[in-house]
Amino acid sequence: MKRILHGLLVCAWLLGWMMSPFSIHASVMGPPALFSVLHTPYSVLHTPFFIRPAGIPDSYELAAENATFQLYFDRSTLAFKVLDKRSGYVWHSNLDETEPGDRLNKTWKAFAQSGISLDYLDEKATPRRVSITNANPEMTVATIDQGFTAQVTFMDIGISVGVTVTLEAAGVRVDMPFAAIQETGAVRLSMIYVYPFFGATRADQVSGYMFIPDGCGSLIRFAAQTKAQTMFYGRYYGADLGMTGVRPFDPQVNPAYRISIPVTGMVHGEKQAAYIAIVEKGAAYGEIHAHPAGIITNFNFMYNAFIYNESYFQPTNRAGAGVTMIQPRTNAFDVVIHYRFLTGADGDYVGMARSYQQYLLEQGVLRPERHASSDIGIRLEFLGAEKEKVLFWQRPIPMTTVAQMQEILADLALPNPEVVIYGWQPLGAATMPPTKLKLERALGNMRDFHELGDSIAAQGGRLSLYLDPQAALRGESGYSRRYDLAMSIMRSVLQGVNRMRSTFYFNLDALTRRYAALSAQVTENLDAGLAVDGLGYMLYSDFRDGRFANREDAIRAYQSLLAEDGTAAFYRPNDYLWAYTVAYYDVPIADSGYIYTSETVPFVQIVLSGYIPLYGPALNFSSNVQDDLLRHADFGVYPSFFLTHQGTADILNTSSRWIYTSSYRQWGDEVKRAYTWLNRLLGPVRGHPIVARETLADGVMATRYANGKQIIVNYTAQPVRVQGVDIPPKDAILLDSPVSAYDSPTCNTAANESAYATTRLTTTRLLSEVTP
Amino acid sequence: MKKIALLSVLVLTVLLATQVKADAPYTTWTPGPGRRLYMTQDAYTPLTEVDLPISGAEDLFVAADGALYIADTGNKRVVKLESLAVSSAERLSVAAEYGKGVLVKPTGVFVDDRGIVYVADAGENAVFIFDKDGQLQKRFGRPTEPLFGKHREFLPRKLAVDVRRNVYVVSEGSVDGLALLNPDGHFIGYFGANTASMSLKMILQRLFLTAEQLDQLIKNEAASPSNVAIDNQSMLYTVTAGTLPRKSIRKFTIAGRNIFPDLLGSSSFRDIHISDDGLLVAVDGDGKVFEYDRHGTLLFTFNAKDTGEQRLGTLRNPTGIARYGDHIYVLDKDKNALVVYRTTAFADVVHQGVRLYMEGFYSEAKPYFEEVLNYNGSFIMAYQGLADAYFKEQNYRAALQTYRYAEDRSGYSQAFWELRNAVLQRVLGPFIIALVVLSVAQKGVAWGDRRYGWFAPLRARVRGWQRHKLVDDLVFMFRFIKKPADSFYYIKRNLRGSLAFALLVYLWVIVVRVLTLYVTAFPFSPYAYLSDIRVENEIVTVVVLLFLWNTANYLVSTISDGEGRVRDVVIGTAYSLFPYALFALPIALLSNVLTLNEIFLVSFSQDLMWAWTALMFFIMVKEVHNYSFAETVRTILLTFFTMAMIALTVYILYILFGQVFDFVLAIFQEVGLRG
Repeated sequence: MKRILHGLLVCAWLLGWMMSPFSIHASVMGPPALFSVLHTPYSVLHTPFFIRPAGIPDSYELAAENATFQLYFDRSTLAFKVLDKRSGYVWHSNLDETEPGDRLNKTWKAFAQSGISLDYLDEKATPRRVSITNANPEMTVATIDQGFTAQVTFMDIGISVGVTVTLEAAGVRVDMPFAAIQETGAVRLSMIYVYPFFGATRADQVSGYMFIPDGCGSLIRFAAQTKAQTMFYGRYYGADLGMTGVRPFDPQVNPAYRISIPVTGMVHGEKQAAYIAIVEKGAAYGEIHAHPAGIITNFNFMYNAFIYNESYFQPTNRAGAGVTMIQPRTNAFDVVIHYRFLTGADGDYVGMARSYQQYLLEQGVLRPERHASSDIGIRLEFLGAEKEKVLFWQRPIPMTTVAQMQEILADLALPNPEVVIYGWQPLGAATMPPTKLKLERALGNMRDFHELGDSIAAQGGRLSLYLDPQAALRGESGYSRRYDLAMSIMRSVLQGVNRMRSTFYFNLDALTRRYAALSAQVTENLDAGLAVDGLGYMLYSDFRDGRFANREDAIRAYQSLLAEDGTAAFYRPNDYLWAYTVAYYDVPIADSGYIYTSETVPFVQIVLSGYIPLYGPALNFSSNVQDDLLRHADFGVYPSFFLTHQGTADILNTSSRWIYTSSYRQWGDEVKRAYTWLNRLLGPVRGHPIVARETLADGVMATRYANGKQIIVNYTAQPVRVQGVDIPPKDAILLDSPVSAYDSPTCNTAANESAYATTRLTTTRLLSEVTP
Repeated sequence: MKKIALLSVLVLTVLLATQVKADAPYTTWTPGPGRRLYMTQDAYTPLTEVDLPISGAEDLFVAADGALYIADTGNKRVVKLESLAVSSAERLSVAAEYGKGVLVKPTGVFVDDRGIVYVADAGENAVFIFDKDGQLQKRFGRPTEPLFGKHREFLPRKLAVDVRRNVYVVSEGSVDGLALLNPDGHFIGYFGANTASMSLKMILQRLFLTAEQLDQLIKNEAASPSNVAIDNQSMLYTVTAGTLPRKSIRKFTIAGRNIFPDLLGSSSFRDIHISDDGLLVAVDGDGKVFEYDRHGTLLFTFNAKDTGEQRLGTLRNPTGIARYGDHIYVLDKDKNALVVYRTTAFADVVHQGVRLYMEGFYSEAKPYFEEVLNYNGSFIMAYQGLADAYFKEQNYRAALQTYRYAEDRSGYSQAFWELRNAVLQRVLGPFIIALVVLSVAQKGVAWGDRRYGWFAPLRARVRGWQRHKLVDDLVFMFRFIKKPADSFYYIKRNLRGSLAFALLVYLWVIVVRVLTLYVTAFPFSPYAYLSDIRVENEIVTVVVLLFLWNTANYLVSTISDGEGRVRDVVIGTAYSLFPYALFALPIALLSNVLTLNEIFLVSFSQDLMWAWTALMFFIMVKEVHNYSFAETVRTILLTFFTMAMIALTVYILYILFGQVFDFVLAIFQEVGLRG
C-alpha cells in the first residue's frame, strides 16, 4: 500500500513538472490543465539556451535563477512567477486570465492582475483604489542581479511607489523602501496592497488551506462555499492605540487574539506544495486580509497590506462632536517580505512553522534552550498583596507572604518552578510599581525575597516579579500625567485595561527610564528577573508634540532597551521580542474561533518548540481542566497556575476580584496532578523541536519530536489503540518510536475507522486528480 | 420515559466530536456576593453552528425524544429535524415537514408527547393542529365565546399545551394574559396576566395632562408575554419583553399566580425553555443567554452577541432556545442556523448539585457544591446549598457562617435562633440567679449610701466637673427628656448650651450614624458586607442635611418673624437630635441578640426614637422662634422646601458651569486644529 502511494506521488510529481499550470485554476493540475498544456502554444523556445516551462505565458521573462528556483516576471503588471525546480511547481503572484464564474468586476480584476494596488484618500478622506492595470501608471522597470526593480508612478494622483523583487535561497524577497515612496499630489497614500493574488486559488479546485496566525494558529480550508460574510482582517500586533485613543473594553467579551507573528501562508495540495510569507519589515503597519472563496470573488486569496495614512475622527468637545481628519504625516517604514517555498513532505502547516523557525534561526532570534533538566517547568504565579480601603486609609491585604510561598513550594516539591510574584510592590497589585525596588513589607523583607529566589534557583527554577512597564495605573500616583504619558493623535492620553485595571500608557522616555531602573535593581538586589506583561503585545505610536514615535520606533526602542537589560519572561510576546524571551507565558492554546476556519493548529508552539519554553494560561480559570491539559500535551505547552495562600474571599471587594479562585488549599492537589501527568509526557522531549504532527483519527493526534519520541493524545471519550498500546479516554501517551496515520492504523473504534477512511479518501482523490 | 431520555443523552455524548477547538467569544458571569455578577469559568462552550434550509425561523421546540421542531416562518412550514438521540449535532438535517400549503406565517410550535404538532400562525391568526404524519386535524380561529371579549383580537404567536391538551396561546397585545383553549378550541379563560406598574412620572402625567395629551401617550397597560414554556408538572413559565428585567420571567401556579421572585433578567427576552430536570434557559434579543434553576435563581449568564467578528458561538438575532442533554440549541433567525453550546466540566458539577438541591437532597448535593466552591469561591448559590445542608445536619455554627456568605438573612436568623436557644438553655438558670444577687447587692449599696454617704465624695467630684461648660452642657441634655420646651427657652436666653457643644453633638451624631451601620446584626442590616458601607457618603449626607436644615430654617424664620438667632437654631437642632444620639447605638447593639422573629422589637424602638426626634424638632422650632402651632407647621414645611431649592440651585449651577467649560474647551480645540 505504502509503496503504491509513493509511486503515485512520484507520478504526480513528474506530471506536475511536465505541465506546470499557466493560470491559477490549474495549480494542482486536473485534467483540463493537461489539455490546455497540450494545445497551448506557450511551450515555445524563448532563448536559444532555455526551454520555457509550460504554463508561463510569453509576456513573462526570466529574471533570475538559483539552485532551487527560477524567477519570471511581467514588465507590464510587475507580476512574477516562481518555478520550484524541486517539484516543477509554479507559484503565481497574479491572475493571468479570468474565467466565467470568477465574479470579478473591473476593479477586482485589475486588483487580481496587478502586482501592486493602492488606496488613496481624496480631499474628503474617502478611500479610492487604483491598480497598475487600470490606472496606466508610468513605470520604469529594470532587471538587477537576482531579480528586478520597478518604480511605479500614478500620474493622476501624484503617488509613486518603488518595488524590488529578488530571488534568495529559500524563495523570493519583495522590498518596498519608504525612500522610494513619493506623494506629490493633493491626495494622500492610504494603503499599499502587495501581490494580493499571490498563490490565489479558485474555490475548491485545489485542495489545501490558508494559514492565519490567529491565536496559536488557524487554517481555512479551500472550499467552494464559505460561512464567512466578510474577509478575515487582522492587523499585525493589534490596532494602534495611538490612532484610536481608547482600547475598547467589554468585560462580557472574550476578545479575539491579537496577531503576534507577521506570517501567513498557503498549502496547495497537502504534503505537495506550500509557501509562507514572512514580513521582515513593516509589520507594525501591516495587516492580513484573507478572503475565502465565495464572499466577493470565487478566489481564495490572502495578502499583506500596509497602512501609510489613515483618517481619524477628532472630537472637539466632550459631547462627541468633531471633524474627520487625515493624519498629518505619512507613516515611515520600509517593507520587506520573504516568500519561502516548501515542497513535498514540508508542504503542510508543520513544514511552514519549521520554515519560519529556520528563518528565525538564520536571523539569530532563536537560540537553543539551555536546559539542564529533563523535567518540564511549571509557572506558579502568586498574588502577593492587594490593597483595600478602610475608612479613609488604604491597607495591604497580604494574600501570599514570602514565607507562605516557601511553604507552598516546599509542599509541592516540583522541579523547575517558574515563580512569578504579582503585587509585590508596596500596597500590592493595584498600586504603581516603584522605580526603585521597594517591596510590600507585609509580605517579607528584601532578605526573605532573596532567600526565596535562592531556594527556587536550587530547585532549577526562576523567581520573577510581575511588571507591566507600559501601564500607568489610572488614579494612582507615582508618575507624571503631564510628562510621562503617551498621547494619541486626538491629543488625549491612551487608555486601556489590563488585568481588569484601567490604565494609561507611558511614552518611550518614561518607559525606558522606569524599566531600566527597576530591572537593574531587581537583578542586582534580588538576583531575580522580571515577568513582563503588556510590552510583549501592546504596540502603540505616540503623537506627543516633539516626541513623536511611530510603532516601528517603539519596536526598536523596546529591542534596544532589552538588549541592554538582558532577558525576561514575557506574556504573549510578539515575534520582535523573542530574542529576549526566556519564557513565554500565556501562550494561546486555542484560536479565536472564526466561523470560517476549519482547524486549530499549534503553529506558534511548533515554531518555538525546543527554543523557548511555553507556559499556558493559568489552569485555575479553565472550565475543562482535563481537556486543556490534553491540549498542553498535544501542543507541548507547560502548565500554569495562579495561586494564593488566602482564600479569594479576601479580595472580593478589590480590583483583583477577577482572580476568583486561587487558594492553594483548593488547588494544591490539582497542581501536583497536572505537573506529574504532563511531565511524564513532555519531560523526555524537553529541548527538542516538533518535527511532525498528524491526525491519526478524529480526535486522536500524534506529535513527533526531533528525538524520535512521539506523543499521542486521545481527545475522545473512548479508549483507542495505537500500535498495540491502549490510550484511555481523554488521556495521552508517549511512544519512543513514531507511528504515522499512513502506516499503522490500528485505532479501533467505529468513529475512528470512518475518520480514517476519510483521510484515505482525500489522499486518493488528490492523487486521482493528478493522474491523467 | 426518563430512562429513554437518559439513554439517548448517553448515545448523544458518544457521537459528538469531543474536541472544542476555540475559546468562547464571551465570558461567563454568575451572581456572587452582594448579588453582583462575578466572572467565572465558562459554563457553556460553543460547539458548532449548524446551517439549515430554513428562513427567518421564529420558534424552536425540542420534544422529549430529542427531535427538534422549528417554525420555519419564511418557508411557511414547520420542520422536524432528525432526533438528537440518534444524530450528532453537527449532522442535523430535516427529517419531516408539516403544514406546507396550510401555514402562512408560523411563529410558534409545540409538540406533545404523542407527536401532535401545534402551530401558532401569525398570518392566519389561528392555531393549527397536525397529527404525527402531518395531516391537519384541527384549526382554532378566534374564540366566539362572549367571555373572550367583544373587541378583543386573537393574534396567536406562541403556544404551549398541558397534559390535558389545553392550549395556552400567547396572543399579541393581549393585556389579560394567555388565552386558554380547551382541546376542542373553546375559550376557557385568560391565564396569568402581567400587572401594570405605575411610576411617579405617570402619576404626575395623569394629574396635569389634558385628555388629548394623555391619549397620545402610550397606554399604561400590562405588557403581553412574548413567549411561553411548560414543564413536566404543567407549571407555566412566561417571558415578557419590554418589562423590568427583574419581572421578566414569571412562573405561574395552576391558579395563575406568579411565584417567581425578583430575578436578574433582561427586558428583551425572546424564548424560554425548561428541561425535565428543572434547569431553565432563556435567550434575549441581544444574544444574552441566561440559565436559572427552577426557583428563579440565576446560575449563569453570558453575552453571545455577534459584533461582526463572525466567531463561533455568537448570535445575531436569536429567536428560540432549547436544552437537550448537556447541550443548548439556539435558533438564529438571521443566520438561519442552530448555534449549539455544550456544558463544561465545571457546569456539570454545578448542575449536579443544583438538581439534587432542587429535589431536596441537601446532603447529597453538598459534595458537589463544595467542588463548585473549589472552582469559584464567589459562587453564591453554592453557599446557599451548603448552608441548607449544614442546617439540615444541625450543624448550626457552620450553617450560620455559610448563610452569611449566601446573604440569606432568614436562614442566618434561623441558625442564630438555634444557637441562641442552646446558649439560653445552658445559661438561663445561672443568669436569673446572678440577676437576683445583683439586685439585692444594689439595694444594699443604695441603703449604705443613704445611711453613711458612701458616694458623697464622688458626687462632689461630679459637681466639680460640672463647672466645666461642656460637661454642664452634657448634663443639660438630659433635662430635655423631662422638660423640652423649658430647656429650649434656656438656650434662647443664653442660659445653657454652647456652640462648641452643639458641634460636638453633631460630631457625635455622625459617629453614631456610622457606628450603627457597622454594629447592626447581619439579618437587620441592609449591607451584606461591611466594606459595602460607603462611610464618606454617610458622613457627607449627614453634614449636608444638617447644614441645609440649619441654613434653611434660619433663613425662613428671618422672613417669618422668627425670634431665633443662628446660634439658637444650631444649638437647638443639636439638642433636638439627642434621642437619636442616645438610643440609635443601643438599638443597633440590641439587634445582635435578636432574630428576625423579634424584628418588631428593633423596628418599633427605632420608630419610637425617630418620632421622638421629630417631636423635639417641632418643639425646638416652636420655642426658639416663639411660634404658634400653625406657624411652626408652616415654617417647617417651608424649611423643607427651601432645602430642596438650595440643592436644586447648586445642581443647576454645576450643570451650567460644565456647559461653559465644554464650550470654551471646544473653541480652543477647534482653533488649535484648524488654525
